[in-house]
Amino acid sequence: MTSSPDAPTVLSAHGLFSGYERDLPIVRGVDLAVRQGEFLLLLGPNGAGKSTLVKTIAGLVPVHSGTIDLQGADLTSTHAHERLRRGLAFVPQTENVFTTLSIHENLLVAAQILPRAERSRRIGALYQMFPDLERLKALRAGQLSGGQRQMLAVARALIVEPAVLILDEPSAGLAPKVVSEVFARLREINATGVTTVLVEQNVKAALAIADRAIVLVEGQVRLEGVARELAQGPELGALFLGAQGRRREARA
Amino acid sequence: MIDILSYGFFFLTVALTYGIICLGLNVQWGQTGLFNVGIAGFVAIGAYVSALLTTPASTSHIGGLGLPIAAGWIGAALATALATFLIGALTIRLRSDYLAIATFGAAVAIQLCVLNLQPVTGGPFGIGFIPRPFAGLARQPFLFGAVNLAIIAAVVVVLYLGLERLASSPWGRALKAIREDEAAATALGKSAVRFRLQAFALGGAIMGLAGAAQAHFIGFIAPDNYQPTLTFQVWAMLIVGGSGNNRGAILGSVVVWGIWALSAVAISAVVPADAQARAASLQIVMIGVALCAILLWRPRGLIGEARVASRHILRPSVARRSSNSSSEH
Amino acid sequence: MTPQVLVDGVIAGSMIGLGAIGITLTYSILRFANFAHGEFISWGAYFALAIAAALGSLAGGNVPSLGPFSFGWTLPVALVLAVGLTAGLALVVDALLFGPLRQRGSAVIILVMASFGASLALRNMIEFVFTSSPRYFSTDLQIAQPLGGGMRATPDQLLTVGVAIVLVVGLHLLLTRTAIGRSMRAVSENRQLASLAGIDARKVIRTVWMLGAGLACVAGVMSGLVVQVRPEMGLDLLLPLFAAAILGGIGSVPGAMLAGLIVGLAESSAVALFGAEWRSAVAFVILVAILLLRPSGLFGRHE
Repeated sequence: MTSSPDAPTVLSAHGLFSGYERDLPIVRGVDLAVRQGEFLLLLGPNGAGKSTLVKTIAGLVPVHSGTIDLQGADLTSTHAHERLRRGLAFVPQTENVFTTLSIHENLLVAAQILPRAERSRRIGALYQMFPDLERLKALRAGQLSGGQRQMLAVARALIVEPAVLILDEPSAGLAPKVVSEVFARLREINATGVTTVLVEQNVKAALAIADRAIVLVEGQVRLEGVARELAQGPELGALFLGAQGRRREARA
Repeated sequence: MIDILSYGFFFLTVALTYGIICLGLNVQWGQTGLFNVGIAGFVAIGAYVSALLTTPASTSHIGGLGLPIAAGWIGAALATALATFLIGALTIRLRSDYLAIATFGAAVAIQLCVLNLQPVTGGPFGIGFIPRPFAGLARQPFLFGAVNLAIIAAVVVVLYLGLERLASSPWGRALKAIREDEAAATALGKSAVRFRLQAFALGGAIMGLAGAAQAHFIGFIAPDNYQPTLTFQVWAMLIVGGSGNNRGAILGSVVVWGIWALSAVAISAVVPADAQARAASLQIVMIGVALCAILLWRPRGLIGEARVASRHILRPSVARRSSNSSSEH
Repeated sequence: MTPQVLVDGVIAGSMIGLGAIGITLTYSILRFANFAHGEFISWGAYFALAIAAALGSLAGGNVPSLGPFSFGWTLPVALVLAVGLTAGLALVVDALLFGPLRQRGSAVIILVMASFGASLALRNMIEFVFTSSPRYFSTDLQIAQPLGGGMRATPDQLLTVGVAIVLVVGLHLLLTRTAIGRSMRAVSENRQLASLAGIDARKVIRTVWMLGAGLACVAGVMSGLVVQVRPEMGLDLLLPLFAAAILGGIGSVPGAMLAGLIVGLAESSAVALFGAEWRSAVAFVILVAILLLRPSGLFGRHE
């Protein structure tokens, strides 16, 4: 456990409404506080708005109302590229590496916002963390396997030593064995002090590595708690089933 | 008074020939979302084909079959439909702007053929003595003008009614579905391509018919009539009127042609003779700027599409997102 | 067909190549076919013409020719200034027209249509300001020097080929070896991911406009130097430029240059075989052939 309940808040959202279209909010009034150093898990049934919430925080989805704060600074109206400079790194679910660039170039692109002297030091540090990537560094990223791509995407995000790392379903499309490797890696990264927010469908495995979890249903926070307790308690299952049950009714 | 009325007839006749081109473009763009930058070329095909079919035999070029005018117009529509079909077949599966590039190229090539195939087209001198409808009345300008206007108005009305019917037919609804909803287009697969191709060729046929009509009202055609400026004018007409709307297409052509004619009159009245060519270029600058301004500030045009306004213009992101892709490919 | 066809083709092709690079860059970053690109060629040539004339009259009228070339020091200076002005023009057009449309998320085809309107306005603005009569950078007549093998070229023509080669190599290095080059490739592949990687897409877009318009200006001055300066010069080059950009594969700078040479050689061969009046048809034939056989071009990636 890398964070304590009284650790300061590093990232927060207040009364957040967002969505692609003005008249159709997908995130509907979310309050969220991510504590320094914690591993926070975002859960919820399909279509609950998890992805939209993290994309909003990353600056990819327009905010209708509410605010987003990072380390005391208001991010709400900044561009996505500006948010990375402020210390917020986001790894999207798909198309998260530049397939036509080499692995090394992928890292160079990300390192560009660092001071010149820092760049090779950070890339070197990440190669140490991901030796596979260094071995393949001249290869075009499009030629990597699914798991390697996820690692490159994570490495790309870590280059700038972000305060918060947000990942949108990194396990999607990966073989179970690879998923557990990726999760172990994320746990390690969190242990080095990087606050981590993870969106996952893979509830059981993800609860095992997270400190705390938040459950989103229909764009609103329905449940919040310590990951270990949620994994054992009945509420989580009820929420998922409930949402599915409702949807089934609506369809019928 | 008679003079003014005669001029009014003439003005409306010309404006309505543009209206026909505009109706053709509306089938391609307004209803199907296909961007044609080669309008001038397709209109030229119609004009030349009809001229070759109907003019009396001539020593300056081959052709001159002396057929009835109606045969010329039908031939023009068929020939232009074929040309647009071929260009469409080449590009309709590719990125949307490849069609624009290909039609632009086709117009350049057609213009070049018209200019250089002297034995067929008369080259830079063009083709004269194109029979005019009711030529027997030519000595009575008022009546002649009225009859000409009546013919062209009849053509416009028939086309308008036919196209409106077509738009609400199953074929028209399928087109609309393909245009509005990427998923529907994908679900239809091969037949979506076929629908678009049919619409493109139909639009081409109408443009060819318009080219023929113009040729027969003026009585003389030359390559210079089919410059890219013609393409621009027609686009401005459709955009002003509102794409997707047949009434808008007709209204837009009358309004834009009116502005064009008035500004030409103003230039010749105000600007000294030696500077008129320069002033005329300013007139075209104005059309270009107007086209951009409408795209920026009033993308629906003056009338716009009646029901679900052109969603593909105003909210393209909807279609993009529903295809479930997070990037901008 | 004589060996001279080769020389004429390379000279025409190097200008087409430079123009096509601009098209391919803006296409790969902004994702639309810019029909106004030809007008940057024309405006570039007219900017240089006006500046060179102004410098010439400031210098007292009679500027001696540089070495074997037909022009004096005023033209190189004018070229540099004109490149800046043309780049500025492109930025202004983007700020007024394409930028707002992009912001609104307009469909590709709306951008194409807007570029169409912009080209009409820009071209006729030239006619209004400079009239439609052809102009020349120099009235000196140059004599073509023998190059061996029955080929001849004027010093001006050889210079244009040399400048094109230097610019293409430089641009290729810029794209592959520098930070801004990597940013451009990143934005071209995936703009959203690029913004997540901290790249300011607006800066990349500005760079692309400046590069594309700058190269167009050079192509325009070169074309004006070896042929003439006319308001339609850009419009007439547009089809060969599109043909070369698609043949080379959208986004590929070496591809655009090589394809430009191919189009240039095809044009000069056609002129030799069928006569000069059919020159403009060549680009269309090539365009149709690529779209039929390999729409992704020689070096393009499949989309």
